[in-house]
Amino acid sequence: MAGQSGSQLSLFTPDEVEFMAEDELVEIVPNLRMDSLNFICGDYGPFYPQIAIQVPLWLALALKKRGKCTIRPPQWMSIDNLTQVLEGERESHAFQSLPFHYVEISRLLFDHARDDIPEIYMARSLVEDIRDVRFHKVETNLENFTASAVTWKNMAAMEVNIIRAFSGRALQAFYRHENEQLIPDLDRTQDRQPQNLNDRPRRNLRPR
Amino acid sequence: MKIRTLKLREAHKPSPGYGAANGSSFCSILWDQQARHLVTASSSDSGISIHDALLPSTTPKILRHHRDGVTALALSPNSTCLASGSIDNSVKLYRFPGGEFETNITRFTLPIRALAFNQSGSMLAAAGDDDGIKLINTVDGSIARVLKGHKGSVTGLAFDPMGEYLASVDSMGTVLFWELQSGTILHTLKGVAPNTGLDTSLVNILSWSPDGEMLAVPGLKNDVVMYDRDTAEKVFTLRGDHLLPLCFLSWSPNGKYMATSGLDRQVLIWDVLKKQDIDRQKFEDRICCMAWKPVGNTLAVVDVSGKYGLWESVIPSSMKSPTDDIPQSSKKSNGLMLFEEEGQEPCSSGSLGDLGEDSVGESGPPSRKRIRKRSEFDEDDPAENTLDGFGLLPQRMAPKRTHYSAREHLDKGSNEELRSTAMSVRSKMQEAFQPGVTPVQPGKRRFLCYNMLGTITTMEYDGYSHIEIDFHDTSRGPRVPAMTDHFGFTMACLNENGSVFANPCKGDKNMSTLMYRPFSSWANNSEWSMRFEGEEVKVVALGVHWVAAITSLNYLRIFTEGGLQKHILSLDGPAVTASGSKNQLAVVTHASSCLPSSDQVLEFQVFDIRNGTRPSRGRLPLSPGSHLIWFGFSEEGLLSSYDSKGVLRVFTSQYGGSWLPLFSANKTKKSDENYWVVGLNANKLFCIVCKSTEVFPQVMPKPILTLLDLSFPLASSDLGADVLENEFILNNLHLFQIQKRIEESSSDDGRDTTELDDEAFSTEAAQDRCILRLIASCCNSDKLVRATELVKLLTLEKSMKGAIKLVTALKLPNLADRFNSILEERMLIETKGMSETAGVAVSQGSGLARNGTASEVPSGPSCIPSSSTTLSAPRFFKKVVNRGEQKGRNDHNLQTAREVQPEVASSGGSTELRTAAAAGTQELNGTSNPFLKSSSNGPTKETTSQRPPSNPFKKSAK
Repeated sequence: MAGQSGSQLSLFTPDEVEFMAEDELVEIVPNLRMDSLNFICGDYGPFYPQIAIQVPLWLALALKKRGKCTIRPPQWMSIDNLTQVLEGERESHAFQSLPFHYVEISRLLFDHARDDIPEIYMARSLVEDIRDVRFHKVETNLENFTASAVTWKNMAAMEVNIIRAFSGRALQAFYRHENEQLIPDLDRTQDRQPQNLNDRPRRNLRPR
Repeated sequence: MKIRTLKLREAHKPSPGYGAANGSSFCSILWDQQARHLVTASSSDSGISIHDALLPSTTPKILRHHRDGVTALALSPNSTCLASGSIDNSVKLYRFPGGEFETNITRFTLPIRALAFNQSGSMLAAAGDDDGIKLINTVDGSIARVLKGHKGSVTGLAFDPMGEYLASVDSMGTVLFWELQSGTILHTLKGVAPNTGLDTSLVNILSWSPDGEMLAVPGLKNDVVMYDRDTAEKVFTLRGDHLLPLCFLSWSPNGKYMATSGLDRQVLIWDVLKKQDIDRQKFEDRICCMAWKPVGNTLAVVDVSGKYGLWESVIPSSMKSPTDDIPQSSKKSNGLMLFEEEGQEPCSSGSLGDLGEDSVGESGPPSRKRIRKRSEFDEDDPAENTLDGFGLLPQRMAPKRTHYSAREHLDKGSNEELRSTAMSVRSKMQEAFQPGVTPVQPGKRRFLCYNMLGTITTMEYDGYSHIEIDFHDTSRGPRVPAMTDHFGFTMACLNENGSVFANPCKGDKNMSTLMYRPFSSWANNSEWSMRFEGEEVKVVALGVHWVAAITSLNYLRIFTEGGLQKHILSLDGPAVTASGSKNQLAVVTHASSCLPSSDQVLEFQVFDIRNGTRPSRGRLPLSPGSHLIWFGFSEEGLLSSYDSKGVLRVFTSQYGGSWLPLFSANKTKKSDENYWVVGLNANKLFCIVCKSTEVFPQVMPKPILTLLDLSFPLASSDLGADVLENEFILNNLHLFQIQKRIEESSSDDGRDTTELDDEAFSTEAAQDRCILRLIASCCNSDKLVRATELVKLLTLEKSMKGAIKLVTALKLPNLADRFNSILEERMLIETKGMSETAGVAVSQGSGLARNGTASEVPSGPSCIPSSSTTLSAPRFFKKVVNRGEQKGRNDHNLQTAREVQPEVASSGGSTELRTAAAAGTQELNGTSNPFLKSSSNGPTKETTSQRPPSNPFKKSAK
């Protein structure tokens, strides 16, 4: 994945971003009868077989792994929509509107719910294309990054994650150049901060 | 020879994209039966144009359904159905002249080159570069036969007008005569027509003379050769001024003339009897298709560049018109067509009888297609079977022929007879069906049974079927191995304990069989089957420890789970459907034939199998002009029906047993959806939502149940609070049900009704909340009388107080006064009633019958006392006996009222409507859950504070 190689530079590892994405709601069709589940994040259920219900992605995947449900792919993951989005991405400089966690959600669904997605290969390659186009766009946009206000609409979590650390430091650098007298203080803090960032103990998420 | 020029009009542009060979493409042209429309198509254009023949300047209607050039067109003889074949390998059917796309009737692996309808329009022959000619039932799309014998691609097809033979010609010039009944080749004429090679714009064709006596085929010597119908011997040839081989020929409607076009760009008109050409015309381009106007002296032509034109007055006025003396047989066929048009009607709405099932010589699968959509034509199956079957049999007799057997005369007679009956009885009694079944679709799995528990699906391979049973809840239902079904089961039913199957009888060898398979049994081999001689199972149903089957002799046969024949009852009429739940079996039968308004007259009866009683029976109401499509029990055990107009009805014992319309698809429907009902519970309807074009779900992908709210078809009231009004009636219904259950269980054996009492209480509280909101909206829209009526319906003391507070907040003092006096009156009556009934209650015991709630009795102060005494006294009494210390349960109990009063008084004081209403409901919420406070009460506490099951799906478990 473009940009992921420099994971040391970004604030979160892709695994962590994925972890956050798992709170997104998806629709599942359970095949068992189960009372409601009460979680810190909310109550889900009761579950009835063959009746669709919205649950967080992590719960959906947990159920799916146990063969207790089928996941209904979200609307935006239809081939039609993805083709349209890809075309839009290729044509314009702006980012097309996609869910904030589209990379993670699609990745998780492709990995764990492949039998629930119609035309999975097509969908997968479309999502990968979209991601590549957008990541490329992010990287080219960074080239003309200035201190003035930057508005990039519809950026997704993964994309923000790539440039988060870079843009933060870049803005600080801009700031430093404009306020010469503050250099000594800033230098010190500046040096320390990325240091902290990288030394921070990383929690290794267990691979699925 | 005079040279006229005919002006041609462009219909289809040859586009290079479609691979047309050097700009020329094969184009087709057709007239409809009344000569009102001209249909053209081109192999280089994916659109089919329907031109208005009367107004040629208007832009034609263009049907763009094919993805590639259209190579073949055919119109059914009655011009209601248009078929088109294309290079994209598909054959599509359209309604004509509307042009609505109907279906992809078949698909090949290679381009289609030729299409032909038989004389009745019931059969379509399609062929092309594939090696078989497919004979397709136009009605259900089933393939009746595949005729294999040609070596090259088939380019011409023609049904013999007498319906006995099919003639076909391929690109190598071989002509085959097929006998339709047996599907065998009668004659092979090798290399009689020119070999067209690989040029697809040039096709070999052939055509029967309208009287069916001769087959015209282009010959090798730039001529037309006529072959005899039966012997396939050369009769004569038409040879003349064609310099190059022929590419199209067309008989005039009466068979006296023929138009031929050649590669030399000439069109010649022949007098067939004199074997002479009478006229000719030279065109700029090669004419690749021609059609005689069915009425009139005109020939429509289309050339290879897609230009078409009309050649008026082809035959000189000195000679006989081409439409004079149309042979007897085709006149007769016109008569038949008129009838067929009626037969076609349900076809266009997507249903027709089981064509092919009984007819001779057809190998197509039995099709019980789209039962759900059938309306009036349903019961006519036998008649239609034979009629459609006749599509393959000789239908008319040429007067000269003598070799027809007497049997065929007989057949023909019966055909006529059937026709007349079919005409006279227009509306048909609906056929028996199994709730939750979907019709046969060739090559697809279908549901035999779909209920709230699981599904039974079947798919037919050659000769036998494959049946699978799946439970929705995979964690609980037993796992049932798939089974191979050699009987061809079409009826099935499923419950927790087992499944029952039945098949209709098919001829003498295949008797109707009923089979029961238990899912788990302590004994091995405990499945059993019953065979019925001279009898046919129509409907099956399943309950706890019993199996029921209704047969064609109107017998209701009841078996035990082990297979013991326990009861045989005679029913009043032919069965429509049946459904079982626990001890109850509900049966729907026809009470009489349909009303002239085509309404079904149905009757239902409910049997209690265990006790051997019949708790209820009566007429089954349906929406006008509709038929029953689903019948079953709700999860609470209420009998329910759903008709084709989308109205769900539930049977209650209110008003001595009546059906309440609880749902109407028209009210909630998004216009393009159909609801396929599966079941219902107290508040929701479970159904599968189908897109507009489909009326039933497919097995794959697995359908998902959708929940719809039940709602009465309320009139739009001036209150504008339809939701509340609906909730009000629904709550009343629930209360009534609960009361009835309490009554039953207490009269049964004095069982503990605590749970039901709790349920009744919470429903009452919910009802009061609803009434309070209704009162608020009544006050807002100034309907004070209605508000007063509503107050009288309140059951809880607290809600009365809340109502008073509400109207005070709304600054309606006189209404508040009125409410106050109602409250006082009621309290007074209750104190009296208590002291009176206390003695009575003691003497009568706890099993006192309670009739209706306060909300059930007609409103009015005089009625309240009586109702509240009968209602409250026993309950109070019971409470004292059962759990003396419990409080806050009885709404009419004065003690409770007094306890509650201070609370209400202390919590009041707000002046705004919102807060007042909220306070009212809050108080109610408080009372509705009394067990949280009085937590020392044993059994009830356990149920309410029961913990949710421990959750195995923690995130860390990933």
